[in-house]
Amino acid sequence: MLNQQEQHTKKLQKCRVLGPCAVEFAAANTGSWRLERPIVRFNECIKCGTCQRFCPADLITIDKGKKECVDIDMNYCKGCGICANECPKKCIDMVDERSVG
Amino acid sequence: MAHYKMLDGNTACVEAIKMAKVKVVSAYPITPQSTIAEKLSEEVESGALDAGYIRVESEHTAMSCAVGAQLTGVRTATATASVGLALMHEVLNVASGCRVPIVMPVVNRSLASPWSLWCDHQDSIAERDSGWLQLYCENVQDIYDTMLMAYRIAENPEVLTPIMVCLDGFFLSHSMQKVLLPEQAEVDEFIGEYTVNNLKLDPEDPMVIDNLIGSDEITEMKYQQAIGFEKAHDVMLEVFEEFYQKFGRRKALVEGYRTEDAEAVVVTLGSMSGTAKYVVDQLHEQGHKVGAVKVVSFRPFPAKELRELLSGIKKVAVIDRTTGFGGEGAPMWVETKAALSDEYLVKGYIAGLAGRDIHTGTIEQVFRDILASDQAGEKPVWIDCNTEHAMNIREVNKYV
Amino acid sequence: MKNMKFYGVGGQGVVTATKVMSSAVSLYEDKYAITVPAYGHERRGAPVYSDIIMDDKPITLNCFVYHPDVVIVMDETVVDKNVNIGAGCAEHTILVLNTGSREKAESLACQFGFKEVYYADATHIAVEYIGRNIPNGPILGVLAKTGIVSIESIETALIDFFGEKAGEKNAKSARAAYEKTAKM
Repeated sequence: MLNQQEQHTKKLQKCRVLGPCAVEFAAANTGSWRLERPIVRFNECIKCGTCQRFCPADLITIDKGKKECVDIDMNYCKGCGICANECPKKCIDMVDERSVG
Repeated sequence: MAHYKMLDGNTACVEAIKMAKVKVVSAYPITPQSTIAEKLSEEVESGALDAGYIRVESEHTAMSCAVGAQLTGVRTATATASVGLALMHEVLNVASGCRVPIVMPVVNRSLASPWSLWCDHQDSIAERDSGWLQLYCENVQDIYDTMLMAYRIAENPEVLTPIMVCLDGFFLSHSMQKVLLPEQAEVDEFIGEYTVNNLKLDPEDPMVIDNLIGSDEITEMKYQQAIGFEKAHDVMLEVFEEFYQKFGRRKALVEGYRTEDAEAVVVTLGSMSGTAKYVVDQLHEQGHKVGAVKVVSFRPFPAKELRELLSGIKKVAVIDRTTGFGGEGAPMWVETKAALSDEYLVKGYIAGLAGRDIHTGTIEQVFRDILASDQAGEKPVWIDCNTEHAMNIREVNKYV
Repeated sequence: MKNMKFYGVGGQGVVTATKVMSSAVSLYEDKYAITVPAYGHERRGAPVYSDIIMDDKPITLNCFVYHPDVVIVMDETVVDKNVNIGAGCAEHTILVLNTGSREKAESLACQFGFKEVYYADATHIAVEYIGRNIPNGPILGVLAKTGIVSIESIETALIDFFGEKAGEKNAKSARAAYEKTAKM
């Protein structure tokens, strides 16, 4: 608590550091690795949430109230295809990333 | 009949281990060694290698299992790299102290931190004093050959000292090259069956090994090890000669390339040695009298042979793929300097850290510098290092 | 001595392509070839490169290729990922490209100054013959068209590498790409 209060009185300043400190976070944007993109055919989707449970990166949110209920965070989806593989209705297609643009 | 195969360095190690008919494998995968551990497990699974595979949880255990298994009277196999070797450190000394002649490929990779998957010699050079012999390889054929010879050297009753066969990560471990593989029968004839020449764990005839020893005897036991290293020097020469007679490929403790009438030479270790030879040829075409010297055996260090090879050559550039912090120079430089009299100009260069390429330009730069130098300088030269920029490469936002 | 540089993205079999190519040259053409693979933090989709040094006599050199005689681009999107496929190239450097489009080949040749380009849609051929979008077999067929290696050696090396069943498919895909290769 004290630390947080102190921070208001402190200023953000550029400092030189020695040794390995990451200064670029682009590498964390794993979505850029994707070769294939999962696309859900929502007319066949039964909103079971299987894709969400199997996503190894936990990037899928299910909102059962919506028609397009499966939301995949494309900033981080690597296109591994596990969701498509596990979907009981087989209604997730893996589409060549280049064709999506 | 011997036949050609395309192998990468790791597979060459696996082929040699397989042909040496090891009975126990205990390896933990680590980049860039992983394919050794993986391929050995496949060979065991398929039955091509009649051995037990112990799935260990760390390199410390991998080496512990190897020591224990080999003490029961069989050849064992393990392999590692980088921080894996560092984690083995404690047990490396147990293996050498118990005189267990394990043959282990070490796929050279930088030590953390900073983390890198790439090659330098910091990992194995840091184990300089662990009581292991160390041979360094130049190409994939060399790896296979060295592995076979390593069994003979380590297991010799007068040596009984474990040995690291060091190969540069990626540059050798993952480089596909044409390798001439002999027949199993030829290998059997050369290496022979494993025989126990010293300590043995046997329930029928129990023996307590590695108990607490008083200081009145330890100096003597360490002296025994020192004698083992001395003998290793001679045994290596015998084994190299026998290998040449049988397989036609020569090896030496330290190898010279166009050193006759050379004005300057580079002393190298590992895969950079091939590139050095290439540059020597190119510089000869331009009229420069230069040569290359490859150190094959770092432990024992062939000081006498190096002296003979360099006799009359006044300028000696030593390339270290390690840092040697705080010393007057890096480890290879220190060894070379110690081997030569003060009449020689021995200058140290640090290059190729964490996979920074030692290309033709790097070696040319070293030759240009040594040819123009008339003294060694007080510190090693950090090749390709932007020393001004070095202190300013990272800037972060901090609350102050 | 001939130097080659392969560019692609992780998951395309760039390193495998160099392995097969170096085997084809070393085992079936009585020459020598070594691969110098560059590994990063392994993952699909990241730009990958891998080099081959090839010669009539044993190779002592063991470092990366800086002045390629042949540049093989297995995925042209590496250009968008800031990879300079023209780095270190000379007048005589040949480009081998995975694309079915002449316009694409022309634009890359123009952008990076290649005088000679061999191209075919290796990914499409791979899907057709192997059923997967991994173009390493077909791209070697395109490479064979440059004359640096024979298509027969490539076929044998592919069968050798992938085994009888998958190897036959790969060999067929390489042959198909070889036949379909256009030169510019």
